[in-house]
Amino acid sequence: MSMSRRFFLKSSSALAALSFIPNSVKAFYQDVKEKFFVKKQMIPIQLEINKKQYSLTVDSRATLLDVLREELNLTGSKKGCDHGQCGACTVHINGEQALSCLTLAAMAQGKAITTIEGLADGDNLHPMQEAFIENDGFQCGYCTSGQIMSAVACVNEGHTGSVEEIKEYMSGNLCRCGAYNGITEAIQQVAK
Amino acid sequence: MSYFFDSKNTEQMPKGRVEGIAKVTGKAKYSAEYDIPDVTYGVMVGSTIASGRILKMQIEEAMKAPGVIDILSHENKPYVSGFSGMKEMPDNRFGLPIFYTDKVYYNDQPIAMVVAETIEDAMFAASLVKAEYEEAIPETDFAKKAKEVSLKETENDRGSVGAWENAPYKVDQEYTIATEVHNPMEMHATIAQWKPNDKLVLYDKNQGVNRVQSVISSLFDIPTDNIHVISEFVGGGFGSGLRVWPHTIAAVMAAQQVKRPVKVMLTRPQMFTMVGYRPESWQRVKLGADKDGKFLGVIHQAKNISSKIQGFSDGITRVTRKIYGFKNVKTEEAIVDLNVPMPTWNRGPGDTTGCFGVESAIDELCHELKLDPVDVRLKNIAPYEMETGLPWSTNYLNECLEKGAELIGWKNRNPVPGSQKEGDYKIGYGVAVGMWGSGRSYTGASIDMQKDGVITVRTAMTDIGTGTGTGMQNVAHTVTGIPKSKIKIELGNSDFPKAPSQGGSRGMASVSSAVYAASLALKRKVAGYAWPDKDANTLNIDDISLSDKGITYKDSFLPYADIFGKNNLNDIKVEEFAGPGEERKKYGFCSSAAHFYKVKVHEKTGKIKMDRMVIVADAGRIINPKAAANQVIGAGAGGIGMGLLEEQLIDFKTGRLIGNDLAGYHFAVNADVPLIEVSFIGKPDPNINPSGAKGLGEVGIIGAAPAIANAVFNATGKRVRDIPITVERFFNA
Repeated sequence: MSMSRRFFLKSSSALAALSFIPNSVKAFYQDVKEKFFVKKQMIPIQLEINKKQYSLTVDSRATLLDVLREELNLTGSKKGCDHGQCGACTVHINGEQALSCLTLAAMAQGKAITTIEGLADGDNLHPMQEAFIENDGFQCGYCTSGQIMSAVACVNEGHTGSVEEIKEYMSGNLCRCGAYNGITEAIQQVAK
Repeated sequence: MSYFFDSKNTEQMPKGRVEGIAKVTGKAKYSAEYDIPDVTYGVMVGSTIASGRILKMQIEEAMKAPGVIDILSHENKPYVSGFSGMKEMPDNRFGLPIFYTDKVYYNDQPIAMVVAETIEDAMFAASLVKAEYEEAIPETDFAKKAKEVSLKETENDRGSVGAWENAPYKVDQEYTIATEVHNPMEMHATIAQWKPNDKLVLYDKNQGVNRVQSVISSLFDIPTDNIHVISEFVGGGFGSGLRVWPHTIAAVMAAQQVKRPVKVMLTRPQMFTMVGYRPESWQRVKLGADKDGKFLGVIHQAKNISSKIQGFSDGITRVTRKIYGFKNVKTEEAIVDLNVPMPTWNRGPGDTTGCFGVESAIDELCHELKLDPVDVRLKNIAPYEMETGLPWSTNYLNECLEKGAELIGWKNRNPVPGSQKEGDYKIGYGVAVGMWGSGRSYTGASIDMQKDGVITVRTAMTDIGTGTGTGMQNVAHTVTGIPKSKIKIELGNSDFPKAPSQGGSRGMASVSSAVYAASLALKRKVAGYAWPDKDANTLNIDDISLSDKGITYKDSFLPYADIFGKNNLNDIKVEEFAGPGEERKKYGFCSSAAHFYKVKVHEKTGKIKMDRMVIVADAGRIINPKAAANQVIGAGAGGIGMGLLEEQLIDFKTGRLIGNDLAGYHFAVNADVPLIEVSFIGKPDPNINPSGAKGLGEVGIIGAAPAIANAVFNATGKRVRDIPITVERFFNA
């Protein structure tokens, strides 16, 4: 049942090219498609997000990011590319960095998911959140959730030995506003 | 409800931006993030050819997919008065008449929109939509077609054209820049929701809510006031949000058609084709000087890519007529229309491109003359605004150059190329400058005071990450005296006083004036209620101050509770507008910046690393020091992209883009950018507006790319005239 997202994407792009293919091959492809294509299927899942349990019925094709944003209104995790290229959707799964756009919701069952909404302790901000405010580690704010989730991981994993090390670790989180000074300085401040 | 300001945590405020908490906690709501009941999902489908005509849409398979509600296309769309009865393309002022043409002008032109119950359903069905085309051969090669297009006079010539020719020292070179795509991190998105009586609510990513209102109003022939546009948080723009693009119009049409709200968010590849880009360009600069480096004349010619839908000139030669005191100038431009998506303004439009040509040519001239590039620039800065003849109100470009030279240690630079080394790297220093015409536009702001003394300052202007809201708070605090923790900000909403789009570095210069005027009006109005026996309009405004508790006039103090009580008030409201005036007839206005960069170039691999970047800007008074520095840092990072990384390639045969996602198209990541050193001159401009702020968004990137190329030349002796300076361009230079 659990076809990978990669297979799904490949198959759909193959479909787009279908018009150039001879009829015999088309017919064969239709057969293959009937057999292997993942049809829409609604499945019940349980997710633990920010220490809260959710029982949901979701599309088996749904990514964790889309379930967070579209089903649960947890829109702090951002969609910047939907392809694992920008880092804006970064969350923690079992305490480790994960890209929620490359994680099917169904794959995240039984794991502890933390999103930006779960980082603060009530009204008390996480030190990294405070440091981002103080060091102006953002402009438009769209990449910020992902930056902060990665920044917390950067400190937890001990990659704060130098400016260069921080910058290298944080280079999977793109910021088009270019607020890289503030992001780097916020991490340095928390690492101290 | 406003998400901009979280009043629960006011003690955080002085440390950072007014909307800081909303942004670091994920509570900030961007346009696709509003929870709208019964919402449907729209996904755009693009053409797979670059030129021709759609014979028939093939949507049967897609319509059968689960969850699909409807598929809009030119074969199935609601009535849009602005598109119906439209004359032949081009010259449609709305850009692409989406779903009102069967013609295809570029690859990935939106030809359909699938509307479905869920995002998964919509995405899957969109992959099944096809079309049968009649295909024509597209024109897609800029370099090839540019040769066939003749230049046109810009009709801004000064002095004698021959002055360049007769100069003892001359440079005559050509420069090119690849197409650059804005790619703000938030992909463009719209939620369109029709309400009874022809009312429309749009949650839309854009840089100007009033602009969206007026475009949708004239397209759909409904009154402006019927359209409510909400853009409270905008995840970056850089110019891509200055127009109303087809997906927004499509969302409005689809919501009408399916009679439910429709949410559309572009995919990242669609961000490359559906919301503009900085057009690829060619320039030729002929520059003449005497032996002391005094410029005698210049001819600047430029061409840029344009689309077949609508002509777009980037205005590349404008900057040449502005920065330096050229007495003899000739400028010529042309647009080259191709089967490509529509270009548009991108950060520092025109001037950023033009500066690469001129600032590179100056560096070439200095090398030939063996003169210092800082001295030569200082010698030639425009003594007044050259085009109007008006004196500069303020122009501290000379101080930017002097300060930047000192900060980078310019005097230690060896002018002989390739003479400095650090380990395996050759090192080099480069300088270039930029300038941007500053100004302000007619802008409104209102202030609403509650009984507890808390005020809310409102404007329709958007904050695209520029710090508009924080600047408004700073101005309101400075003028009224009310502490920042009692000043709420609401913006990016067409229900608030009208404002221009956030663009062209005019946001802060414009809105600060409106907030200043509203703050003064509030002081007078509260004074009028406090002391009805005095004529509030005649009181010296500087003798009136507000605090969190009440109003003070000279030695008298009255608490807000008393003022609201005895006048039986629920709130006190003021609304003011401010715009440019007589000062525009008396002075020329500009912001400027000097870029001093140190690069490291690896001899064997051609790897170029930015080692230090010093940027000194004159932008008048700096209202938010942290956010202002951040703006310049970001512009510098954008400059690295332009100089070294960003290049949108096209497959000439199909007109398809190559590498059109964030893995294929590289802009600067954290590791590409050193900790950028930013300084400001910080002297207020006394004439531009009451705050003295001149605008800052553009100048940080104008001049950045040539400073990099000039530094690479100093490091290696290789003059790269085609950017970005990728490894292959470096080795081929």
